[in-house]
Amino acid sequence: MRLVLVIVSTLFLSACYNAPDAAASGGGGPSALAGSPAQSFEVRRTDGRMDSLARHRGQIVLVNLWATWCTPCREEMPALQRFAREQAGKVVVLGIDQGESASAAAAYAKERGVTFPILVDDQQQYGRTYAAIGLPTSVIVDRSGHVVQGIDGQMTIEQMRAAVARALAARK
Amino acid sequence: MTARVAALGVAAIAIALVLAQDLYPATPLYHTWQYALALTLALAVLGAYANGARRGDDGVRGRRLLPAMAGAATVAVAGLASGLLGPDTTVIAGTPGTVAPIPALGAAAFFSAADADAIARGAGTVTLRRRNAAEIALQPAARRLLGESLVYLELRPAAYVDVSDARGAHLTVTQPTNASFLSPVLLFGARQRIGALEVPLDTFATPARHLTVRALYFTPQALAQFNRAGAPADQGRPALVLSAADDRGNPKGLTLAPSGAEVAVGGLRVHVTLGTYPVLAIAAAPPAWVLIAGIALFLAGLAWSALPH
Repeated sequence: MRLVLVIVSTLFLSACYNAPDAAASGGGGPSALAGSPAQSFEVRRTDGRMDSLARHRGQIVLVNLWATWCTPCREEMPALQRFAREQAGKVVVLGIDQGESASAAAAYAKERGVTFPILVDDQQQYGRTYAAIGLPTSVIVDRSGHVVQGIDGQMTIEQMRAAVARALAARK
Repeated sequence: MTARVAALGVAAIAIALVLAQDLYPATPLYHTWQYALALTLALAVLGAYANGARRGDDGVRGRRLLPAMAGAATVAVAGLASGLLGPDTTVIAGTPGTVAPIPALGAAAFFSAADADAIARGAGTVTLRRRNAAEIALQPAARRLLGESLVYLELRPAAYVDVSDARGAHLTVTQPTNASFLSPVLLFGARQRIGALEVPLDTFATPARHLTVRALYFTPQALAQFNRAGAPADQGRPALVLSAADDRGNPKGLTLAPSGAEVAVGGLRVHVTLGTYPVLAIAAAPPAWVLIAGIALFLAGLAWSALPH
């Protein structure tokens, strides 16, 4: 009788158990990166020089990931250019083209009067590391090289100012 | 067959079944009711023999085997608890260069960056970082027991995709349906059945050209089967079958892309590098100290019973 009880109890516990394999994947978008060290990759700029996020350590950086085919990026670019001029000396703006040729990125920037540095990340290293779930994606990096905020989607100049305000307010 | 031989045989099988959880963790058997039933029956047999031996039914040898029965029962209970109450096996497929939190382990998994060469060599690794603990660099084929979880890497097919247009201008590769939108590494999280074959499937897009490309991964063996159905022949290398379609779903081309070769499809020049990239698997496992103690007790009981009396 005891044996029967043991077997029945075990089968009952088995029935309560949910067996299928679970699958999970990394992600969470750029907003999940706040507080983490900002990853940096050495890539070529449209002017031919090498550059990376790490080379701007000690400055507040607004990293903007974009591509020429991206309509919201196109709409955001004038505001980004105004912001870069307005914040010159306080915030560095780095535009990082994702996956395209330097010639395409350079022509696009010239046509739109972009004066801030454009980096050409043809291996899309920044895009995947900063968990971009679309373009444009912007990341604010503080003077210590940590991500302050990750933003998915197009921003207005007011939103850009607000995004860097906390990093600017922090003591040098 | 005597009751003693039967009990020892059952004890050995029960221990082997539980050790298999650590040795072959990917097997889904351990969370099934059949596995639980087998261990429960083993416990019942061990209990029945031990009860009789305690009363002297099997003489001095039988009594001396009581520690062995206790050891085997300990192992069986640990295996039963792990199989019944432990979490399901979880597979975490992280894109190269990304971080995935793993609350169950109180850790974060750092998936190593991988370029085309690393994918071809299967050189991807995963590092687990935990608060106040040394980081653990996991290599394929190695297993680590963390508390009551067994963590290990499984190598899965992967492809590094490099796309340019007809003039050679590099194009952005996106994966709109995957967690990592801007990764040029395909991890083939889906599968597609083609006749009797089931092959890994992934999709990427080139938004600049408004094209979506489906990629089916064929091993050389699968390709040989596919070849019999009239597909172009290959040289024994894995390959992707790429099919491009525009935004409206109109087909724009189909081609076979062997690893390392550049092919044209839908007005794109696609260079694929095939290889592997690891996923992180976390399986429930009985605590090592319980297994060691149980097996030690089992062996000690066996040795004691073999001594002359």
